[in-house]
Amino acid sequence: MILEATWRAMHGAARNTLTSVGVYGYYLRDIVRSGREIDTWPRETIRQMRVIGVESVILTIIVAAFLGGVTAFQTRFQLFPGVQVSAVGLISRQSIVLELGPLLTALVLTGRVGARMTAEIGTMRVTEQIDALETLAYDPVAFLSLPRVLAALVMLPALTMLANTAALVSAWLTLILATDVRTIDYVEGLRIAFTPFQVVYSLIKATCFGGAIAFVCSYQGYIAKAGAEGVGQATAKAVVITSVSILTLDAIVAAVFAPFVQA
Amino acid sequence: MKRRDEVLVGLMLIFTVVVGIAGTVWLARGGLSSGYPMYAVFPWGAGLKNGQPVLLAGVNIGFVSKVELIPNGTLLVTLAVNDEYQIPDSTTASVEPNGIFGDQLIALSPRLSVTTYMAKRDTIPTGEGAATTGEVLSKADSVAAEVQTIVTALRTEFVTDGGISEIRKSIAEWSALTAQLGTIAAEQSRELTTTQQQLRATLAAVDASVVDSTLRAFRTSSANLAQLTGDLEKTRAQVSSILYKVDSGPGTAAKVLNDPAVYARVDSLLMRLDALVADVKANPRRYINLRVF
Repeated sequence: MILEATWRAMHGAARNTLTSVGVYGYYLRDIVRSGREIDTWPRETIRQMRVIGVESVILTIIVAAFLGGVTAFQTRFQLFPGVQVSAVGLISRQSIVLELGPLLTALVLTGRVGARMTAEIGTMRVTEQIDALETLAYDPVAFLSLPRVLAALVMLPALTMLANTAALVSAWLTLILATDVRTIDYVEGLRIAFTPFQVVYSLIKATCFGGAIAFVCSYQGYIAKAGAEGVGQATAKAVVITSVSILTLDAIVAAVFAPFVQA
Repeated sequence: MKRRDEVLVGLMLIFTVVVGIAGTVWLARGGLSSGYPMYAVFPWGAGLKNGQPVLLAGVNIGFVSKVELIPNGTLLVTLAVNDEYQIPDSTTASVEPNGIFGDQLIALSPRLSVTTYMAKRDTIPTGEGAATTGEVLSKADSVAAEVQTIVTALRTEFVTDGGISEIRKSIAEWSALTAQLGTIAAEQSRELTTTQQQLRATLAAVDASVVDSTLRAFRTSSANLAQLTGDLEKTRAQVSSILYKVDSGPGTAAKVLNDPAVYARVDSLLMRLDALVADVKANPRRYINLRVF
């Protein structure tokens, strides 16, 4: 009896997982196909770039500034005697550029942009605006999903670059104002073992995260069930799935590209 | 509205690209004006990486901009030296540890009293670097091994073979001996004090007049002894004179003592006496004819 119940549960979970992968695959196919609707998505893409990118600059910089300052401060005071002070710059740079900058920017934007994306599209779904678009012979994916995905793919790296810069500047200010680390030590540490590929690695991560945010969140809005509760559930589910996806992608990108990061 | 979106997005992207490129170039090359390159060839880089500092006489003058393994198995290191610094002739380059966690730096050691400078893009001769962490650890290992050997030997001597217990025993015996010597010294001190007191008492009891009379008697005895000695001297001279006469003079005594003929006659006499005595013993009636009536 117990074995049968366990088997049914596992079977159901596997079927749901495969179904989800399948419908995500169909949705991706629809997005790619919607690229043919050249009269539909470019203008909306610019608008989404403003919404996702320009309107998130202040939040991103604030988060990154705190992130950089705290990272540098903690690093300085965790060093024990005998370690050269320039290690603070090295550790701060590697932490921020390789990991914290893209990851925290993506997680913050998941809440700010992804949730908004799901709520907008979900509301359009439950108010049958998407059905109206289809009636008017508009491709709703080309109008709603593709611009968001493209905007996120472009703007997440840009925001990540700003976040990295803001975090490193904040780390420098924190160190020279609140600790005994001098500018020359910090700059020396920033330059140790630096390769331009580290910046590219950060941008690769940001691009992946941006795609995940837009793809998952727009899909969850697209399939939202009727009613306010359905939109709320879709939004919460989108944030959770996107966050887990971002962490998973982070691990995958690290596993693939980390060996090439070392100077 | 649409135009405004495009402008904002365009501005943001341009700004981001400029910041990204400028920041990357600044970190990788030290800015657009990254100084001038110098070169050094090392047989061993010890984990040298881009960006590690270049010090001239301990002053940071640039950083490592490129580390390249060339086909002959050595490292060609490109140094980015700030424009404001020049490297004196005869300067040598070496890879030195920076801190204790494996970070490295390039140390440029100039020779004193040199006033000429190397040309830009020159290759700096390689000098002898400091001991690496591995070498220091190796030395520490050998020292630790020696210390371990000493500790083992000490443990064997003092613990296994009972050296510590013997030392403790010796210390205890020494302590007992010291205590005993202290007791003896105290006893001797007491007896010495007593003896001193008795001597003082005795000296105090001696009568000066008795001592004086004793001395006077002693002087008299000495005078008598001197007179006796003179008499004895006279007697000895007389005896010597007699002995001389006996020994070498013409008298009877001298002849008895010194003349062999006298000796022979005495010896013959004694022989005849012996014969006589023997004859007397053998024939007493020949010589003794005792008649009472």
